[in-house]
Amino acid sequence: MLTKKLPPLQRFLSLVSRTGESCRPTAKIQTIGALSCNPSLGGVGKGQLVREVDALDGLCGRAGDWAGIHFSILNRRKGPAVWGPRAQLDRQRYRTFIQSELLSTPRLTVLEGSVEELLLSETNPEEPGTHRVTGIRLANEGTPISASSVILTTGTFLSGLLFMGQSESPGGRIGDAPSSAGLSHTLRERLGLRVGRLRTGTPPRILKDSVDLSLAHLHPPDSVPTPFSFLNTHTRCKPEEQLPCYLTYTTPGVERVVKESLHLNCHIQQDAKGPRYCPSIESRVVRFPGRQHQVWLEPEGLTSDLLYPQGLSMTMPPDIQLRLIREIPPLQRAEIHTPGYGVQYDFVCPTQLSPALQVKSTQGLFLAGQINGTTGYEEAAAQGLWAGVNAARSALSMPPVALSRTESYIGVLIDDLVSRGVTEPYRMFTSRAEYRTSLRPDNADLRLTLKGFEEVGCVSPLRYQEAVRVRDSLQEAQAALQTLSLSSPKWRKALPDMRMSETKSTLLTGMDVLQYNDVTFEMLSSAFPESLSRHMEFAQRLKIEAVYKPHCDLQKKEIKRIQKEENMSLPQDIDYLTLPVSMSQEVREILDRVRPSTLGAATRLEGMTPAAIVHLLNYVRTAAQRERRNTKTPKGRERAGDVCKRGVLT
Amino acid sequence: MYSVYHLLIYSRGTPPCRFLSTCEGVPFGLADAESIFALSSGHGRCGVAVVRASGPASATALRCMAGVSRSPPPPRTALLRSIRDPISKEVLDRGLVFWFPGPHSFTGEDSVEFHIHGGPAVITAVLQALGSVPGMRPAEAGEFTRRAFQAGKLDLTEVEGLGDLIHAETEAQRRQALRQMSGELGHLYQDWTHRLKRCLAHVEAFIDFSEDELIEDGVLNQVDRWVCDLQAEMERHLKDERRGERLRSGVQVVIAGATNAGKSSLLNTLCQRPAAIVSPIAGTTRDIVETALDIGGFPVLLSDTAGLRESPDLVEREGVRRARERVEQADLTLVVADCADLPSDAQQAAAFLQEHLRSVLPPQEQPEMVFPADRFLLVLNKMDLLPEDQRLELDGELRRVSGFPPVCLISCHTKEGLHDFLTVLHSSVKTLCGDPLSGAPTLTQARHRAHLQQCFAAMAQYQRYRDLDLALAAEGVRLALTSLGRITGRVGAEEILDIIFKDFCIGK
Repeated sequence: MLTKKLPPLQRFLSLVSRTGESCRPTAKIQTIGALSCNPSLGGVGKGQLVREVDALDGLCGRAGDWAGIHFSILNRRKGPAVWGPRAQLDRQRYRTFIQSELLSTPRLTVLEGSVEELLLSETNPEEPGTHRVTGIRLANEGTPISASSVILTTGTFLSGLLFMGQSESPGGRIGDAPSSAGLSHTLRERLGLRVGRLRTGTPPRILKDSVDLSLAHLHPPDSVPTPFSFLNTHTRCKPEEQLPCYLTYTTPGVERVVKESLHLNCHIQQDAKGPRYCPSIESRVVRFPGRQHQVWLEPEGLTSDLLYPQGLSMTMPPDIQLRLIREIPPLQRAEIHTPGYGVQYDFVCPTQLSPALQVKSTQGLFLAGQINGTTGYEEAAAQGLWAGVNAARSALSMPPVALSRTESYIGVLIDDLVSRGVTEPYRMFTSRAEYRTSLRPDNADLRLTLKGFEEVGCVSPLRYQEAVRVRDSLQEAQAALQTLSLSSPKWRKALPDMRMSETKSTLLTGMDVLQYNDVTFEMLSSAFPESLSRHMEFAQRLKIEAVYKPHCDLQKKEIKRIQKEENMSLPQDIDYLTLPVSMSQEVREILDRVRPSTLGAATRLEGMTPAAIVHLLNYVRTAAQRERRNTKTPKGRERAGDVCKRGVLT
Repeated sequence: MYSVYHLLIYSRGTPPCRFLSTCEGVPFGLADAESIFALSSGHGRCGVAVVRASGPASATALRCMAGVSRSPPPPRTALLRSIRDPISKEVLDRGLVFWFPGPHSFTGEDSVEFHIHGGPAVITAVLQALGSVPGMRPAEAGEFTRRAFQAGKLDLTEVEGLGDLIHAETEAQRRQALRQMSGELGHLYQDWTHRLKRCLAHVEAFIDFSEDELIEDGVLNQVDRWVCDLQAEMERHLKDERRGERLRSGVQVVIAGATNAGKSSLLNTLCQRPAAIVSPIAGTTRDIVETALDIGGFPVLLSDTAGLRESPDLVEREGVRRARERVEQADLTLVVADCADLPSDAQQAAAFLQEHLRSVLPPQEQPEMVFPADRFLLVLNKMDLLPEDQRLELDGELRRVSGFPPVCLISCHTKEGLHDFLTVLHSSVKTLCGDPLSGAPTLTQARHRAHLQQCFAAMAQYQRYRDLDLALAAEGVRLALTSLGRITGRVGAEEILDIIFKDFCIGK
């Protein structure tokens, strides 16, 4: 389990105690938990991922609460479904927390060393796949480490190249060497995986003392920090200890410097795909000239003397970087501590993975993070967690588990990756989630913690008990609200502050009334203290539930249908090219290329036709029927693929 | 054969319009709680039409359209009822109503059937009325059958034909939709989709990026205006049904082939008047010549097209483009070839004809070079120029080689073979008319109307929540786009993101 960049490191920890020994080689123990890029966690869409990772007992939410120094809920005025919990982090605190959690995890050994090679052996004939991984070999020592599952999280280190100006040098992060060439070779040549190239970049770090912050706009945090974790009621940082951020803008001078130095900038001229939504200042200026662009000046820690200028990712030579930033008023006399640079790295086309994040062709090999074409800590954390869950289950000979896109952003992320692939670094947006109004940051625990404990096995009993308590209390409170059933005049009397235009004679329940814009649970509670005041702890959640309930109820139907399709798995060894059903060559090729793991995934493929779906459905049905029949007969089981082929022919 | 016909009857639906979608598969319900309706009988000369609905809202439809207040009515029993519009209460027709409570129905769900008079006006009115019942929407291709399949109501042999059947349906609906979408209405719907996409993209940009980016509140004000304009236009459109072009009913038969094969002569022969100019000069016909015919009592819209060839002439090239477009939209294509062009060796002639078919027909029609008998006829004209023995040899060879559509040898000049050809044509047209899918523009219009109404209603959700909860407001726009997407093709998240990145400079 090679891991270089650590926020993605997630918790296969609770599973460790069940699976037995785990080991986690890393190039440098001291860089575990190092935030390579921005010192922040969460945001719109990303915050949802952090909440979900936490709900499944991953680390990053709690680490964020411990290390955060500026908390704010983004999109506060836009509706709870799209609230984005976010925090600026103290880099040192974050690293300390992650390292202490990891190093104190029982039966987890952390090794220092770079993974040179994957050990491969004969496949297990009972499972699909053409290879099987049996362990790893480290670069500097000969002894192999055997393992039944291996998770690769190479970050930006796989064949990493750093760019600054016209120079390029091997590396995955400034000061850190790339992963070994042997590993890339194994993935490409021995496992035959399709590999692509992506790029990203980071801004220069600026000495705080050299910046005139009075020329920038002050951006204070929320007055009361909201913790990421469902287990925390408050953050380590006290409200008054929080640090502000600052906002400033680019000037025409910035554009001029970029344009003059384009010829000195080889990163920007490369054709590896960079993200459209986190572009370097060079591409922003080139694509949208003549505009002001925002630059956020963010603290790097409580005691750090550095500022992180978000929005100024750049790859030009260091002297020009200095010229550029000095075109921005608060940075007129700024000094650069570390210049910005670009990174290019290999990723494995994620359509080659199963929804469990296992490489389809290689038993026991799991991939997570940037190696799958994503960008961002939160996206990496989500995959790290899910790959960890499945790696552990695989080691325990338990069947893989998948999260549906109807129940979580993690499911959306993984489904997008494995069934559509990526063309640029993939980042989460709330608009990617079709069921956004149901998948809210406030209810991640109800969506995932219970399942995580009961079905997946990655949640600790402590967290589970808390989620059960929350669920029961919410249900009880909603029942209490339902039983409050009054006519409109009576409601008007009970809640004088409420503007209720309804004159209908039908009775309204507390849940109905709570949907009104100007009604809060607090108002109801003070009007009916005997039945409601004990639920004040959940005032906000109850209000959100009431407002969203009608919309979520509508979505439930659709969600049920999709889950039904997703529950129909397609055997991985179907030979789509020769399947004896009538299907166009085009559709056969699509199916053969992507090998969707469920019927649901197949319906979402580009170019699929309803007819082809029906053939597949029929196929799955017949397979299941035959399977059932065969298990009853003494003849024993046949391979699902063979069974189906005959099933269709008869 | 019976089972296929049985499926055919019960499984008409609406096109998912894959052809217009730039990405994404077809939204495809295997079983859901939504209720669906469709015309289940054919069109053309039918005295009684059967409209059926399936799903939980069937009971509502029964109650508010057939005035069955006592619940439940006796199952599987014919009730003579006035059928009314659920909103205006206007009587639409008087007909038989059947109630099939689940699971003892074709789909396994609660179902209702309306047996009404077969005129297009009545059918359209009843379909539109069903569309306004809450929870009802027009069925998609094969949806009834799929639901039956889901409920375990079909046996394996029936299921095997299902995929091909749905393929045929999708194709038929694709052609029907192509015909409509290439016209003025199509442009209108496309324009609405485009604008709605932009609305959604801008709301989504405001949600996903405005905290970090320079996306001002002004963006939303603009969206407000756009949504308002769209609503107004849609409302006007929904109120004035006669706006836009009138679509002509009938089986669309297109004559296509190389220049000078006698296509126009065939048209003139069939309509028994010189509707198209004929001359020995190749490339005489340039535009589409269209004429309405009655073949054995069935309405047929016959089009003659320009001969397919590469031409330096701009006008002729446009004619060829139109010809190809028309072939793509056709229910039945008569591919005409000139006997005089055929190689004298029968085997070579067959290969020549195969190549000819390939060049005339659009590529997606020929996945494995099989030409369904009811979609294509190969007409070999000028048979009088062929010696008797060669004629017999060719006939035998074409029967032997598989993958050929039915072949008719005729002579427009001597009228030889014409009678046999008409018999074949009549039977093809009859099959097509029995198929409720082809050539009934009013059905498509009714379906469009239902989706437009849903789209219109969803936009109101945007306005309701605009200032309260932007996530719920955006959900309204998204639902509106989904409804419209059922006409013009589904819009995926990536497409929205593309617009966002094109319109805004996003850099986290």
